[in-house]
Amino acid sequence: MPVPFIMPKFDMDQEKATIISWSKKEGDFVKFDESVLTVETEKVAIDVPCPATGTLARILFKDGDVVPVTKVIAYILKEGETLADLPNADLPTPPSKPEVVPVSKPVAAPQAAPVTATPIAIRMAKEEGVDLSRVPASGDRITREDVERFISDQKSKGRVTVAATPAARRVARESGVALETVAGSGPRGRVQSVDVVTAAKSIPVPTTTVSGREAEIVPLTSIRRTIAERMQQSFQESPHIALTVEVDMTEAENTRKRFNTQVEKLGQPRITVTALMIKVVAWALVRNPYMNASFNGNSISLWKDVNIGVATAAPQGLMVPVLKGVDHLGVSEINMRLLDLAERARENKLKLEDVQGGTFTISNLGMFGIRQFRAVINPPESAILAVGSVVRQPIVVDEQDRVEVRPILSLTLSADHRVIDGIVAARFLSDLVVGLEAPSMLLL
Amino acid sequence: MPELSYLEAIRQALWQEMKRDERVFLLGEDIGRYGGAFGLTHGMLDEFGEERVRETPISEATIVATAIGASLLGMRPVAEIMFMDFILLALDQMVNQAAKMHFMFGGRTSVPMVVRMPGGSGSGAASQHSQSLESVLMHFPGLIVINPSTPYDAKGLMLSAIRNPNPVCFVEHKILYKTKGEVPEDDYTIPIGVAEIKRPGRDITVVANNIMVIKTIHVAEKLSKEGIEVEVIDPRTLLPLDTKTIIDSVARTGRLLVVHEACQTGGWAGEVIASVVGSPAFDYIDAPVRRLGGKDIPIPYNRGLEMAAVPQEAEIEQEIRALVGGKI
Repeated sequence: MPVPFIMPKFDMDQEKATIISWSKKEGDFVKFDESVLTVETEKVAIDVPCPATGTLARILFKDGDVVPVTKVIAYILKEGETLADLPNADLPTPPSKPEVVPVSKPVAAPQAAPVTATPIAIRMAKEEGVDLSRVPASGDRITREDVERFISDQKSKGRVTVAATPAARRVARESGVALETVAGSGPRGRVQSVDVVTAAKSIPVPTTTVSGREAEIVPLTSIRRTIAERMQQSFQESPHIALTVEVDMTEAENTRKRFNTQVEKLGQPRITVTALMIKVVAWALVRNPYMNASFNGNSISLWKDVNIGVATAAPQGLMVPVLKGVDHLGVSEINMRLLDLAERARENKLKLEDVQGGTFTISNLGMFGIRQFRAVINPPESAILAVGSVVRQPIVVDEQDRVEVRPILSLTLSADHRVIDGIVAARFLSDLVVGLEAPSMLLL
Repeated sequence: MPELSYLEAIRQALWQEMKRDERVFLLGEDIGRYGGAFGLTHGMLDEFGEERVRETPISEATIVATAIGASLLGMRPVAEIMFMDFILLALDQMVNQAAKMHFMFGGRTSVPMVVRMPGGSGSGAASQHSQSLESVLMHFPGLIVINPSTPYDAKGLMLSAIRNPNPVCFVEHKILYKTKGEVPEDDYTIPIGVAEIKRPGRDITVVANNIMVIKTIHVAEKLSKEGIEVEVIDPRTLLPLDTKTIIDSVARTGRLLVVHEACQTGGWAGEVIASVVGSPAFDYIDAPVRRLGGKDIPIPYNRGLEMAAVPQEAEIEQEIRALVGGKI
């Protein structure tokens, strides 16, 4: 007899539990006492140990289902047992008599007997968007297994059955070229990587007329595809909040001038505003660890390193080279590393490690006269700072309402609200204001 | 640097190691007065005496079993099996005893012995004296299988083999015995389990062992004049096999051919190919992955048929051309 897997009762007064996730699936080998699923009671989340060693079969409740305690949620098949050994009765919904629901058949097969389906098959079909009338039944009723087989058949039909080498398939994937459109130069028309490379080069030509409008169709480059996927993922998954502050850059500009007098004597490159900005941001990140973090679903990583990415326009698209360990660097060192990275980004010579490991990003569009803008967070980071232009404008500078013309910079922070509360973002921005309006505070 | 033959290089390794380490001794059939079937131990009886160059009865099981016993008691025996074909008589000793003792005694003992065995065809010695059985020996965890292609590698690997605490099958090739190469007089070792790129190239990776390395290099030199650059990899040790060097190479060249004299069916080429196609190099493979092994027949005595039974340079060249030219 297969061993029934019963939803255990963990608390005295517990009536039900919610399945958070199965870590094993049907057909998996499971060991006695091994954790196979996690459930949540009203109090805690608990890993449920397996009652026996064998093969996990007929999972009756899936992730998210609320299950009364002592209910059978699955079976463990012992050695030599098969699905046929499972009891017939134990299907989920009220089990006194298995409910059988007729399914409308297409008119094309009128002579066929009306096909019925089990409740679990019906539920599964509904969830997966499967038209049950198209699912062939292996027995007298459409079962869950029939629906699963139908879904997996549909998926496997998506495979491109073109003779192509593995390398050609990879190049096609990366360059977004449809393999079936490429003429293969190999034996029996096999597509080789060189064929895909040639095809990718020749693609931008077509101007198509979709609904009468002409457009030049540009295939996605691998980098464009990556940007598209990451930006979409970020904007859909992480709830963005945006906060803006204005900073009087008088002191920052003075400090930079003093630095430049010094570095020029040493024959070093002039310090840019961005380098100074990065230094102040690093200082503020150390003071606000949740700004330098990643969201993991069940936890948050507060990164020990402060690695700041700087969004840089490069011929091939946006690149974000990363300055590592910035909190330990002086402004002059930051400046030199930044110049090196920017130059290599323009020449397309960045290495993989140059663009990895970022914990925070700065994006600057000030040079285009953009006063302020909201940037999309660069995952898995949790925040990005959008730097606008510095504009000389009159502001009130003291309590006597004296007005002076000052260089004012606008900074907008986009933050992942799952990790960063508004008040945390506000504190970070106010630290930035302090650091930029009085750079000597960094010495404190 | 002095030039030695493959045979002399192995003799020099044995000679120097016996001088250096008094635990090392030789045993085998006719290895004393006669100097061994191929003359490899010539002169060693006079130098080291009967205690350290021991003639044995004609019983391979006894030779290997004696070596196992001696190594368990702290000696470093180097046994000679006159022809590799005869190792099958000692396979139970080799596989069920030598390979397993270290593990079955919980690591408290080891079997530091070397069993030398010349294999391969080309000498007109017919079916029972010409086989390449290295693929068979690769199947047994606990053994090390070494298979050098040059005099330099032969000496360096022999010294590593004697000093290694595991039972080592040291597979020599009788046709290579007379090939010459530079061999330093000094004591040097070559690490076990590390392949060598014998010749770099960008168009195709060819993995070959012992005499097939030499043949493939000849072909590679010829094809290079036409602009086809062949990367030749010699695993040097078949067990453990350095798959990383091979995988990295295939990821660069996109093409792979494995050449061995051992019969194709069940040969070690299959092992190499499975390791590569299951690795990240898969996405860089741009042509069918092929093997060229010996024909699945007993090696014939007839000279012409013997040549036809194992890969020759013309066939290797043909395979490489077909793969690089996109004809297969």
